[in-house]
Amino acid sequence: MSPTVTAGTVSTGPVTMTTPLKLLLCHHGTVGAQAAATYALDVAVPGTTTLVHCLVVPALWTGMQGDDWLNNASTRDAFGRYVEDMLENDAKRELAAVEARCRERRLDYEAVMRLGEPAETVLAVAAEVGADIVVIGPPRRKGEEGLRSRMDLEKLVRGLRCPLTVAPRQ
Amino acid sequence: MIYTKKSPALLVIGVMMLLWGWLNASGGIDGMQKWLQKSAYSDHMKVKEKFDAELRVATEIATAESKPAPDMKMPKSKFDGAKAQQARLAYIFGGIAAVLGLLIMVWTPKEGQLDYYLSIFPGMAYILLIAFIVRWGLDPTFANWGKDAQPALGWNFATIFNLNYVVLGIVIGIVIVNVFKIPDWAANGVRTARFFLKTGVILLGTLYSATELAQLGGLSVVMIGIFVLGSVGVVLFMGKRMGAGNSMTAVLSAGMGVCGVSATVAAAPVVNAKAAEIAYTIGTILVWGVGCMFLFPTVGHLLGMGPVQFGAWAGTGILNSAQVAGAALAFDPHGIETLKVAEIFNITRVLFLPIIVLWLAAWYVKHEVGAEKVDLGRVLLAKFPLFVLGFILLFILSTLGAFTPSGHYQGKFFSADKVKEDALLKGKETRAIEGELTRLKDAAGAKALQDHFTAKAINVGQRHATPEDAHKALADLVVNKKMTSREQDELLKAVSKMGGLDALTKSAIEKADKAAWHSSKAIAAFRDWLAWLFSFGLIGLGMQITMAALKQAGGKPLIIGGVVGTAKAVGSLIVVLLFVKEFI
Repeated sequence: MSPTVTAGTVSTGPVTMTTPLKLLLCHHGTVGAQAAATYALDVAVPGTTTLVHCLVVPALWTGMQGDDWLNNASTRDAFGRYVEDMLENDAKRELAAVEARCRERRLDYEAVMRLGEPAETVLAVAAEVGADIVVIGPPRRKGEEGLRSRMDLEKLVRGLRCPLTVAPRQ
Repeated sequence: MIYTKKSPALLVIGVMMLLWGWLNASGGIDGMQKWLQKSAYSDHMKVKEKFDAELRVATEIATAESKPAPDMKMPKSKFDGAKAQQARLAYIFGGIAAVLGLLIMVWTPKEGQLDYYLSIFPGMAYILLIAFIVRWGLDPTFANWGKDAQPALGWNFATIFNLNYVVLGIVIGIVIVNVFKIPDWAANGVRTARFFLKTGVILLGTLYSATELAQLGGLSVVMIGIFVLGSVGVVLFMGKRMGAGNSMTAVLSAGMGVCGVSATVAAAPVVNAKAAEIAYTIGTILVWGVGCMFLFPTVGHLLGMGPVQFGAWAGTGILNSAQVAGAALAFDPHGIETLKVAEIFNITRVLFLPIIVLWLAAWYVKHEVGAEKVDLGRVLLAKFPLFVLGFILLFILSTLGAFTPSGHYQGKFFSADKVKEDALLKGKETRAIEGELTRLKDAAGAKALQDHFTAKAINVGQRHATPEDAHKALADLVVNKKMTSREQDELLKAVSKMGGLDALTKSAIEKADKAAWHSSKAIAAFRDWLAWLFSFGLIGLGMQITMAALKQAGGKPLIIGGVVGTAKAVGSLIVVLLFVKEFI
């Protein structure tokens, strides 16, 4: 099946042939990701859909010690642990928040957390879990603050074997 | 976890190096080397012409005397030396790489120390191969292209853009990590670049005299003190005014004020910086640092700065410490003087780091509600840069004469006995000195000498120098045709700087001075290794600069960083140009 990109208003209704069994939600806490979560929760049907929450920690963090060379190894290790703990805690908080919303709606929930380049990782996770649909948030507007780790949409669209939905901006 | 990747890469690199060594040793690539090493080859041709002439004469004499043709050996030229060095290094490191590469192919690694240490060699060989290509291939190629294009362009683009092995190495490192990615088999070894850079700084300790270290240390403490404290203060002020948040302001002030990414890494956990704040700060510092590394040497050349001025400027004005070393070597790639100055500034910065981190920790606790207090003693100990102790140890050993005869200076020592026959003063030069001696003995000359000695505070031992001391030293120089003592050498060097001195006398004194000082073999070897260590380290550090990190530059950190970085670069340039004089 070739991917279909849709964007529009949310509709909920009875289970149909197009109701996703496995919905892959790409969510990492940004404003766009919140929109994706809202859309995914509306599309998902309790008892039928399993919402798989894919949280990608951007690979840019692997190069975030930059070219530091003056510090002792213990200082670099302390920094590495500090950043890892912080990213892990941030991620766990996001996962817990989406899981709680799923629980409220009696939706089955699974979480996948990966470090990597966003589009590549989503493609890999979508294939692994057998996603029927992938939901992502709208791209950040130019000039908006935030980490520069954008989803490579072209790579995602070309690589996906299921429909891709870009949630409408809230 | 198994770290060693089963890959033929190390073996292939080893074979490539061995092949290069063999091609150099056998003369198989002499045609290419002639083009790459034009200056050394020109020296080779001169040596060869001289040898051929001597051989011809010796053969003619032998023939006339009915003796067999003489067996003469052509002396080694610079060209021969350069090829031999390339062959030697390629054989040594190629041999090691080939053996370890074979081991990786046949050995099944098990978890443990051996596996971990073996895993670093492919990456190290990878960087070394790039260093060989850059130093032996790209550096001379760009130098030749720069010279070839000069008539058409009117300027040498290779010199103006500092396209030497240092800049090219860093650029190649950046290109590799961002375009091709670092291969898995090389990832562990690439991280060793930091270790080699630190080793370079430790070895650098052998090249300072006590006076020089005291002078540079004093200058760096003043410059770094003013600009570090100043920029930390300005960032704290601007951050508050712009509502950047306490942790963001604190981590940014460390990065902007002290030593860039290293300071950010050291300060971030202490001031509870958030992930995005760290990313913005490091991105901004890297963008600024890489830009400065290209800009500073060009500006330095255009302004005609010397090693002390440029080293002091780069050491103060460039935010990130790695780029300080890069800019110093880019400015002066074939000498070590600028690097010596810049690294003293780097060391001073890193010594300031624990103090600044403490300051910021205290500032953060004071301003942030609910912030936990920091164990100041623990922070101070953890952040103290241990490699500086190695630098100090090497400096002490060198000062005590461990690597060279006592009384050495910058790796050189005085010895009248080692002055070669052809370095003795010629008749024309001694006659010029005699003429000048006569002039300096009359009343006006003696007064000029006295005034010069008084103005420059020249001493002989514990007393002030007199014109009679100069007369005697000049007379001895005429008799011996060389300097015979260090005191005579120092006094006459001072005389040579006197205004109105005859030009030939001045150049004769300088020639005699140069002939009496000899390079220590150990120190000369250290200098050579230093260049390799820094080249290796900077290529490896280039491989740590990712576009993903650079792209994070933005937001308030970029505004504050832009203002403070520019003010620091321009302010330190003005101070250096106005107040710093060359003294090494």
